Amino acid sequence: MAQGNNKKSNVKPASKGIQPARKPAAGRQSVAAARSSSSNNRTQLIIGAVAIAVIGIIIVVGVIFTQRQAAVQGEGYGASTQSVASANADGVVNVIKPGAKPKVTIDIYEDALCPICAQFEKQFGQQINQAVDDGSLAVNYHTLTFLDPNSFTGTYSTRAAAALLCVAQEDGSQPGRYLAFHSAVFNPDTQPEESGTDDLSNDQLAALATSNGASADAATCISTGANVAAAEASATTSTATLSAATNGRVATPTVVKDGAPVPELTADWLSNLLSQS
Amino acid sequence: MAVAASTRGDAIRDMLGLVARLGLATVWFISGIAKALDPRTTLVAVQAYQLFPDSVAELLAAVLPYFEIALGLLLTIGLATRLSAVLSAVLLVAFIAGVISAAARGLSIDCGCFGGGGDVRSDETAYTAEILRDLGFLLLAGYLVARPSTPLSIDRWAQRRSGGPAQADASAGSQQPA
Repeated sequence: MAQGNNKKSNVKPASKGIQPARKPAAGRQSVAAARSSSSNNRTQLIIGAVAIAVIGIIIVVGVIFTQRQAAVQGEGYGASTQSVASANADGVVNVIKPGAKPKVTIDIYEDALCPICAQFEKQFGQQINQAVDDGSLAVNYHTLTFLDPNSFTGTYSTRAAAALLCVAQEDGSQPGRYLAFHSAVFNPDTQPEESGTDDLSNDQLAALATSNGASADAATCISTGANVAAAEASATTSTATLSAATNGRVATPTVVKDGAPVPELTADWLSNLLSQS
Repeated sequence: MAVAASTRGDAIRDMLGLVARLGLATVWFISGIAKALDPRTTLVAVQAYQLFPDSVAELLAAVLPYFEIALGLLLTIGLATRLSAVLSAVLLVAFIAGVISAAARGLSIDCGCFGGGGDVRSDETAYTAEILRDLGFLLLAGYLVARPSTPLSIDRWAQRRSGGPAQADASAGSQQPA
């Protein structure tokens, strides 16, 4: 019975629902059009809102990902205290903790004018200092000079490479000296801009070395440009070594381990190398 | 609704719209992904324009690749095509302005449009080609701003869906008395 009542009461709204159909045809169409256009407007709003939300979510996720990728490694470690440096006959500078037998040896190819090298130093410099200091890493620094033409004087890359060589030769046995000057040369705030309006003279490079603990002998070597020819020769040799390891691709910074380039210098490339060995 | 829209002209315009939409989507995907994969280079590329202080350049370099990828995604699925096309056009105009200002200031840089970028040797700059290419992309965006409704898009699907029930109601209403 109750069900029957329910059914009856259900019929009434239905019969009311027919009433609009008795209105003139024109009125009915305009109602339909109005409903359709308001529904379309709502759809447009929803689509716009969803689109903006999609853009927002992708950007937020992306920025977080980027920041993790750009995170400074070994943050807070600071300068190297244990490393010594020595230049070989080809002008390649070997950096190692005295007496240590590092599990990992890498070759780093850089150009003193290369802005990405400065970013690389900023992100991984302290981590490299730490790994060298604890004896697990040795680094061979190759300083290339192919960006010379992009420097204000046309010779900055070579002169900076010569300055690095001076500090390695004169002060390499003093713990941390070479890496301290290396960090200063590749400091994004010190590094001259490519195609800029100035760069550093030999005297300015010498002053930079002195303020980072270099000896008077090293400063003289830098300001007189004593190693410029040696740096040029070293860059030529190292360019050939790099080219052989990378099938001819000469770009900086490049890290080479066991004769092959480290493919992606992601945030954890060095931690991975150190933990794998 | 406009069922009779399947004239030849409409079919051609539909096809052009689809090509423009997917073409522009491809451009954003390629350029966005290349930038996202190498954030260090992207930052250097943005800084090479020397238009922004470092903090702004860092934010821009982090946001830009993913903004481009988002535009690529929206255009691929055809969601909010007109909005995506307007944003694309704004971004392209900004890129063109950036390249023109780099050329005017005598900077020697690569635009970094598809990743890479930064400083290059002065005989390797390609400002004119970069601007012409961006103008081509701008044309695609402009077409979609003018005619955002394209086949195989969520926009058109949603439009039909929201238009559909209202019409069904009206026809149901007229049938009931009979």
